[in-house]
Amino acid sequence: MKSRNQTLAAAFFLLPYATVFLVFVLAPVVYGFYISLHKWYILAPRPEFIGLRNYRMVLGDDLFRLAMLRTAFFVVMVVPAGNALSLLLAVGLNQNFRGTAFYKVAYYLPVVMSVSVVAILWRWLYSTEFGLLNHYLGQASGAMHHVLPKVFPASWKTEWLNNPRTAMPAIALLSVWWGAGGNMLIYLAGLKNIPRQLLEAAEIDGASPIKRFWAVTWPLLRPTTLFCVVMSVISSSQVFGQTYILTGGGPYYSTLTVILYMYQQGFGQYQLGYAAAVGYLLFAAVLVFTLIQFRLLRVKQ
Amino acid sequence: MRPSRRTYLLIWITICLAAVCGCGPRKTPARSKVVTLQFWNGFSGPDGTTMERIVRRFNSEHPDIKVRMQIIPWGTYYDKVTLGLAYGGAPDVFVLHCDALPRYADSSSLSGLDDLVAKGGLSEGDFMPRPWQACHWKGKQYAIPLDCHPQGLYYNVDLFKKAGIVDEHGNARPPANLKEFLADAKKLTVDTNGDGTPDQWGFVFTWLRTNYVTVLSQYGGSLLSKDSRESTLNTPQARAALDLMTDFVGKYKIAPRPEGQDAWIGFQTGKVAMALEGIYMLSSLEQQKNLHFAGAPCPMFGKQRGAWANSHFLVMPAKLSAEKRRAGWTFIKYLSDNSLEWAKGGQVPVRKSILASPAFRQLPVQYEFSKQLPYVQYVPASISINQVLPFADAAVEAALCGIKAADEALAEADRRTREVLARE
Repeated sequence: MKSRNQTLAAAFFLLPYATVFLVFVLAPVVYGFYISLHKWYILAPRPEFIGLRNYRMVLGDDLFRLAMLRTAFFVVMVVPAGNALSLLLAVGLNQNFRGTAFYKVAYYLPVVMSVSVVAILWRWLYSTEFGLLNHYLGQASGAMHHVLPKVFPASWKTEWLNNPRTAMPAIALLSVWWGAGGNMLIYLAGLKNIPRQLLEAAEIDGASPIKRFWAVTWPLLRPTTLFCVVMSVISSSQVFGQTYILTGGGPYYSTLTVILYMYQQGFGQYQLGYAAAVGYLLFAAVLVFTLIQFRLLRVKQ
Repeated sequence: MRPSRRTYLLIWITICLAAVCGCGPRKTPARSKVVTLQFWNGFSGPDGTTMERIVRRFNSEHPDIKVRMQIIPWGTYYDKVTLGLAYGGAPDVFVLHCDALPRYADSSSLSGLDDLVAKGGLSEGDFMPRPWQACHWKGKQYAIPLDCHPQGLYYNVDLFKKAGIVDEHGNARPPANLKEFLADAKKLTVDTNGDGTPDQWGFVFTWLRTNYVTVLSQYGGSLLSKDSRESTLNTPQARAALDLMTDFVGKYKIAPRPEGQDAWIGFQTGKVAMALEGIYMLSSLEQQKNLHFAGAPCPMFGKQRGAWANSHFLVMPAKLSAEKRRAGWTFIKYLSDNSLEWAKGGQVPVRKSILASPAFRQLPVQYEFSKQLPYVQYVPASISINQVLPFADAAVEAALCGIKAADEALAEADRRTREVLARE
């Protein structure tokens, strides 16, 4: 009887979360799929069932394919760089020195900021005329001009967000900065879990710090790395706020990401069925990619 | 980022509290003879103050109708209207831009006005034909035009005089055609400090979309065919219009490459001599100290006259009680009858009687811009226009910024437009 009581208690405690999950996550997910099977213009009196036609149209839509490529480009830039930075920060903070708490907070703070704040902040940094980035790079170029006049112009500036070549890398850079603190904490927790005696044994055997990292820390950190990489692939393929606020997808579609395209179709054009299909196709792509990652990075028992 | 469990819990608690607190018995409002009308618009600038004044006067003159006006900035206005019409909570009278009418009318969200117009009070003969025609969709009338806001030429009088571009009386003389425009703009583009980039520009592109529609219409082109079924973005007219605009930047060097929304500030602060903008920008110039400007019809760049325009239309939703519909019609008529007052805030009225009145002729810029009413160019009436416009925008932006050649960019916009139109 006791176990039955426990089950009831467990169910009782799970109920609120389960309800919220069902109502606000699972139900919309299923409903979204239902919507994607309809020609669902928000003002139309009755949505028309069209089967998989939305999916066919989306797959034939070159802007969707373009958005997929742009998103992939973003993920390729952000995930390795972001995780490398997070790991580097975590390894640094794992050394025992005074003031680690301060640095932890400092590196984590950007994560707490909302995307609008971050984007507006970086818009100023990237501003062509008044931006800090152009200011310092221009000064550096001016200084180097005296040494190598052919390579460095006397005055230099670039339009970070108005140039189709630099716009996406610029957005990737701010995203790395914005998200690094989150994964840093997870990596730090992973590092703390590595048994000290293994590292000490390696040290006694005469392994250099770098050798110790690659031979002990890195293999044992693998589950953490898998988790962080998978989560950042998922979250960065859903990049939206940065491109929405900073570029709106431009210049000339160079920062058009999939979720932004979905938003434009759904809430700009109110073509909800089409937008839902875009969302589901992205979901499918991310799912496949995540499964591949699990295969590649799985810890061998 | 996904919300955490704690967030979900908070939401859950909030919902529970809301459910407990919000489900009390509703009080039914006391019956009275006053009809209350919800009136929505997006006039969040100085135009809102003007409209507020007109509404207040209407309320004091009509004791049986109470209009409650709600101003929602245009940025989110159409979201609110659309959701209101789709799921309830729509206003009783509201404003739509001309280009938004087809998709609301086509989905039967708007009240047809033919019976009300037939009963009289507003006669078609007193309206300029283009705005009046644009109020129709598939043969039925859904709106009454409050105004028309065409694009026109704003020019800086001081800079013109300084460059010696004056008529025999010594007044600044705005360009009337392409030849004059290019010659004037060349004189007005000055590099004072000699660093190779002009500090004063003859012309500046402000809103690419409307600037393009103006030039395009003057070349006899349009974004879509007459029946709005075909894209006409890859036509000789479309290419010629975009080539000309590209030449302003590249070949003639009279305009800077477009860069965001700061271009208008250049005109406001006297660093730019000419710009093509809507009449609604007037109030932002009138507030500017030490700026002497004037307005003129758009110069004739192409082979015919043409100027982009949009209109504020007054509409009512399809679902409306007869009582409110009657009251709404009274209000709409009142707004139209009093559109001189509205024009003073920086608009062009569409009633012939008002356009011919001495009071209107005393508004210099409005009067100049209103000369274009017979040939103004609305964007094509199409339920897909919201999808098509961004394609055209992207092509124009790409060509002017040197990202893509004009013909290539237009061919891409044309292909995408065809795809979207085929979806309908």
